[in-house]
Amino acid sequence: MASLSEEVLLVVKKVRQKKQDGTLYLMAERIAWGPEGKDRFTVSHSYSDIRCQKISPDGKAKVQLQLVLHTGESTTFHFANESTSRKDWEAAKELLQQLLPKFKKKANKELEEKNKMLQEDPVLFQLYKDLVVSQVISAEEFWANRLGGINNGESAACENKQEVGISGAFLADIRPQTDGCNGLRYNLTADIIESIFRTYPAVKQKYKENVPHNLTEKEFWTRFFQSHYFHRDRISTGTQDIFSECARQDEKGLKSLVTQGVKNPMVDLLSLEDKTLDEGYGISSALPSTSHASRTVKESSNFAIIKRFNHHSAMVLAAGSRKRDVPADQASETSSTDGNSRDSDFFQPPLKKVKLQEAIEYEDLQQENRPKTVALNLKKSDRYAHGPVPLQSQQYTTSQDIINSVNYIKHEMSNYKPNLTQVLSSAAASSAIAALSPGGVLMQQVAQQAINQMVPTEIQAELKHLYVAAGELLRHFWTCFPVNTAFLEEKLTGHLECMLQAAYSKFHIWQTRRMMRKT
Amino acid sequence: MKLNIDGLLVYFPYDYIYPEQYSYMLELKRTLDAKGHGVLEMPSGTGKTISLLSLIVAYQRAFPLEVTKLIYCSRTVPEIEKVVEELRKLMEFYAKETEEVNNFLALALSSRKNLCIHPEVSSLRFGKEVDGKCHSLTASYVRAQRHGNPNQPVCRFYEEFDAVGRQVPLPAGVYNLDDLKDLGRRKGWCPYYLARYSILHANIVVYSYHYLLDPKIADLVSKELAKKSVVVFDEAHNIDNVCIDSMSVNITRRTLDRCQNNVDTLQNTIQRIKETDAAKLREEYRRLVEGLKEANVARETDVYLANPVLPDEILKEAVPGSIRTAEHFVGFLRRFLEYLKSRLRVQHVVQESAPQFLKDIFDKVCIDRKPLRFCAERLQSLLRTLEITDISDFSAVTLISNFATLVSTYSQGFTIIIEPFEDRTPTIANPVLHFSCMDPSIAIKPVFQRFQSVIITSGTLSPVDIYPRILDFRPVTMASFTMTLARTCLCPLIVGRGNDQVALSSKFETREDFAVIRNYGNLLLEMSAVVPDGIVAFFTSYVYMENIVASWYEQGILENIQRNKLIFIETQDAAETSMALEKYQEACENGRGAILLSVARGKVSEGIDFVHHFGRAVIMFGVPYVYTQSRILKARLEYLRDQFQIRENDFLTFDAMRHAAQCVGRAIRGKTDYGLMIFADKRYARADKRGKLPRWIQEHINDGSLNLTVDEAVQLSKHFLRQMAQPFSQVDQLGLSLLTLEQLESPEMLKKIAQIAHQT
Repeated sequence: MASLSEEVLLVVKKVRQKKQDGTLYLMAERIAWGPEGKDRFTVSHSYSDIRCQKISPDGKAKVQLQLVLHTGESTTFHFANESTSRKDWEAAKELLQQLLPKFKKKANKELEEKNKMLQEDPVLFQLYKDLVVSQVISAEEFWANRLGGINNGESAACENKQEVGISGAFLADIRPQTDGCNGLRYNLTADIIESIFRTYPAVKQKYKENVPHNLTEKEFWTRFFQSHYFHRDRISTGTQDIFSECARQDEKGLKSLVTQGVKNPMVDLLSLEDKTLDEGYGISSALPSTSHASRTVKESSNFAIIKRFNHHSAMVLAAGSRKRDVPADQASETSSTDGNSRDSDFFQPPLKKVKLQEAIEYEDLQQENRPKTVALNLKKSDRYAHGPVPLQSQQYTTSQDIINSVNYIKHEMSNYKPNLTQVLSSAAASSAIAALSPGGVLMQQVAQQAINQMVPTEIQAELKHLYVAAGELLRHFWTCFPVNTAFLEEKLTGHLECMLQAAYSKFHIWQTRRMMRKT
Repeated sequence: MKLNIDGLLVYFPYDYIYPEQYSYMLELKRTLDAKGHGVLEMPSGTGKTISLLSLIVAYQRAFPLEVTKLIYCSRTVPEIEKVVEELRKLMEFYAKETEEVNNFLALALSSRKNLCIHPEVSSLRFGKEVDGKCHSLTASYVRAQRHGNPNQPVCRFYEEFDAVGRQVPLPAGVYNLDDLKDLGRRKGWCPYYLARYSILHANIVVYSYHYLLDPKIADLVSKELAKKSVVVFDEAHNIDNVCIDSMSVNITRRTLDRCQNNVDTLQNTIQRIKETDAAKLREEYRRLVEGLKEANVARETDVYLANPVLPDEILKEAVPGSIRTAEHFVGFLRRFLEYLKSRLRVQHVVQESAPQFLKDIFDKVCIDRKPLRFCAERLQSLLRTLEITDISDFSAVTLISNFATLVSTYSQGFTIIIEPFEDRTPTIANPVLHFSCMDPSIAIKPVFQRFQSVIITSGTLSPVDIYPRILDFRPVTMASFTMTLARTCLCPLIVGRGNDQVALSSKFETREDFAVIRNYGNLLLEMSAVVPDGIVAFFTSYVYMENIVASWYEQGILENIQRNKLIFIETQDAAETSMALEKYQEACENGRGAILLSVARGKVSEGIDFVHHFGRAVIMFGVPYVYTQSRILKARLEYLRDQFQIRENDFLTFDAMRHAAQCVGRAIRGKTDYGLMIFADKRYARADKRGKLPRWIQEHINDGSLNLTVDEAVQLSKHFLRQMAQPFSQVDQLGLSLLTLEQLESPEMLKKIAQIAHQT
């Protein structure tokens, strides 16, 4: 039982698995369970294999914890100790919650993806077995080519996959519930945490800095929800808060957004007025500007709420579109700085022109001026279909020819008159039929069986595998051309040659084996 | 297409025309024929601008001696640019159809901030800074100094323009702001002065209201524009406020302190000049004796501080002796300043008329009316003589002297209110002297007098007859046009009750009522679930909005709304609001949908359009009455009652309803557009409110939708939106709300069109 020198983080006794009592061990890198009285683990999962944990809801009689693996299998543990089951379960769950995300990164997406690909594509799987498992080429090389292929071939499909945005109300979804004794309970899910991080990068930063060395995850979130940052409408009580910096950063971010100005000149309220009245003129019957000092507490808290909503919405919006258009954004940003900054506008801000045109357009007053499509009028459609063809090979029959000949044949057929004086005698005819029947004189040379019926299937399969493997290798080989990097050259001269050699010898072995079998 | 408008050949740059456009042009033609003024209301999005331009350009071409110039005034920079682009379209159409070279010159004029191409000056952020810096580089004495001292910085663009730019007039064409800047860069000329010079001979000038209505600027820029011009005020529903603003002055203690500094600086400068160059001051004195007219012959760049009153009344006289020498004038300013300071040391609110003020100042510090009148002019002359380059520093003393001139010139139509503190904070002393104009006709009177035709037009001018009364003019045509529609694309609903039958209203007594706020929240929440893309909600004021938002936040309503749409809120900071607006549009654009909480009378409600999916619904929470406790407003209401026989309540309701109409009208910008207009206040159902909405909105309010509950409104909205979502093509409109030339010329259509214009 103690044969492993791993660090054991938690031991929970009386945990049932498949109706067997046993002990659950949470170690540094894996979770394991051994039945009572045996000194070996019957269940052992590395954390990196675990996709998630599922827990039984509060208040259920059976206290259970289920681990779902990447492979889709799952293992269920039942905490059976009457008195402490709830506590044990709680401890195990907490620990797992902390451990799993760490390993999650290791078991990265790519692996999952490869796995999926292999599962979905048996040919690929076979190829993988032939080439990688038999160590003809390394796994990286195999995948380097493959994944590249995915990205190129299916890039359209991949990118079209929409980025899931963030719900605007994710903070509303974590409405606290009172737990009955003057406390609040917030239910956080991984999704919400993800949303918080994506919307407020400052919090993510804090999280990275403080968890787990300074604070546990739980403490972190507790403080988050207690902080003035979260309850921005309340007036701050202490400045010792780790989130006060976040608030400041957000403020700064907002300010920079504001100073950046807007790209669309039609919504720029600053430059809306042509000539503002000078200070001191005009009727200031509107509100006298309330400076911050003279604001009441209530007003400034209202003000903070408004600011916060604007910021929140802007961040949610940005989080939704951030990843997608980074390059596009950069491009437009540069062009907009050219357009909007006042001393560099040596060329027209194009956006402004477009927006102006849009604004004065009356679509229904105009004749519909969609670019008119010209109907494709082909005089010789066959030429369009076949493309230019070298002169000498002009022996194809045009569709017109075919139509003509069909017509001709039809015509012939309709005008067919049997010439009964020149038919074969029945004896000659029957002998001819006999000769043309299977087994007849004329049919002996023709192989009766197709090759696929002659060769046993397993040999066919083997041959196919060898063929595919050789094809894959050749593909590797040809992708090395043109040889323009040292790496490619090395690949070519070094191991690819060996690989081809190996493949060849493999084929050779197979052949001789086959010969042997035959003889 | 080519139209025959009452015998006038009008080129119209589209293939189709809305019936109301034709009708509008007819009315406009009548106004121009009569050489009179007109008030025309036509719904937004029915091509008002292009109708105006087409007709007036055609008129100009047909009768070049009758109408020499079109002065088109709009409110915002984007609006100005839009007008010029429409004009460009028209001119291109002319060129194509007539195939002859057009000799029309049309251009936009804007402030230096929008036209400057000087690398340093144009990088300044605020208009005032740009103006000041420009002045310091282009003033005539600065340039004169350069002869002696080549290191003196000047603006090379202005120098180049001054050297050669005036000789050849700007070639014919259409110049938008950016075109002017381009041209300026190519030629090395200052676009601003080029534009200002060119408006004198341009056929069409597009600029903002201030160039005509603010006497301080109008005098500089628009003084020499020909009398035979047609002036158009577009988006003119707020024109009275623009007039009033340009004539009103506020003086705080801070102004006076800064003014004190200015006066000290003046004193020192005079002292210094006296020692070095006394001849200069003597020269100025001589000029002033000869009268201001002489003094006023100055270069265009110098006329930076213009007189706030209209020149003719003053310039014939010579400057009174008591302020003729520089020292005396500074002493005079000091006395005036001390007097104002003493007036600001009050404990209670004072309200008096201009004559009372003049009498008081004469009794207390022996300042006569006459030198006060010349104060602005005299200061201007002094600043020029002293060769003060950075004039923006002297804004405080300029303000004071403008005030002096105004208060001594107009005995009527103004009131002086001195408030020792703000109403909301009675403990903090913050005295303000409001010198406020109550009569918008004062500022606009010279425009009506001078130009032969002035057209006031907007999407929302109802009730049309009130404008001639408050602006004091006699129009020859007043008309309100409806929008002919092939499908009812607007859906005004008046929500008067919550689902719990609580009456919804923003009136003062129920303003803090929890039930009302909750029901308002509920309305927004329900709508956010039903309406696609963008919703704009308007509140009656910032304070009201902040309170409601806070209590919605506490009640968790906002969180629920967030499940449906993102929320953006207008703030009092324009930059922040611009960002929120852009994000709002982005969210509408990418399908997430958003809600913009905004304020009636705010910048958004006045300047931003929410076309198509940017505004599928507008919700007006409450009736946007102006803050009625303000003393200035009270004084104005009294004045309106006494002078124009307009009842206070009538005016307040009119004012509230025009703002409400502006807000809800933001969502419909054309016949292919559609949107809900939700008036969430039971008071809208009353005839006196409803009757003041523009006709094109009013006629779609049916009696069944006068007092809806939230649920009923949601049902109606769903139904409406479902109908609107059906495909709608040009063919559906054709013959009803969209006409070809043949259809237009058919007699029954002409009969129908005659009914569109609603004469009042």
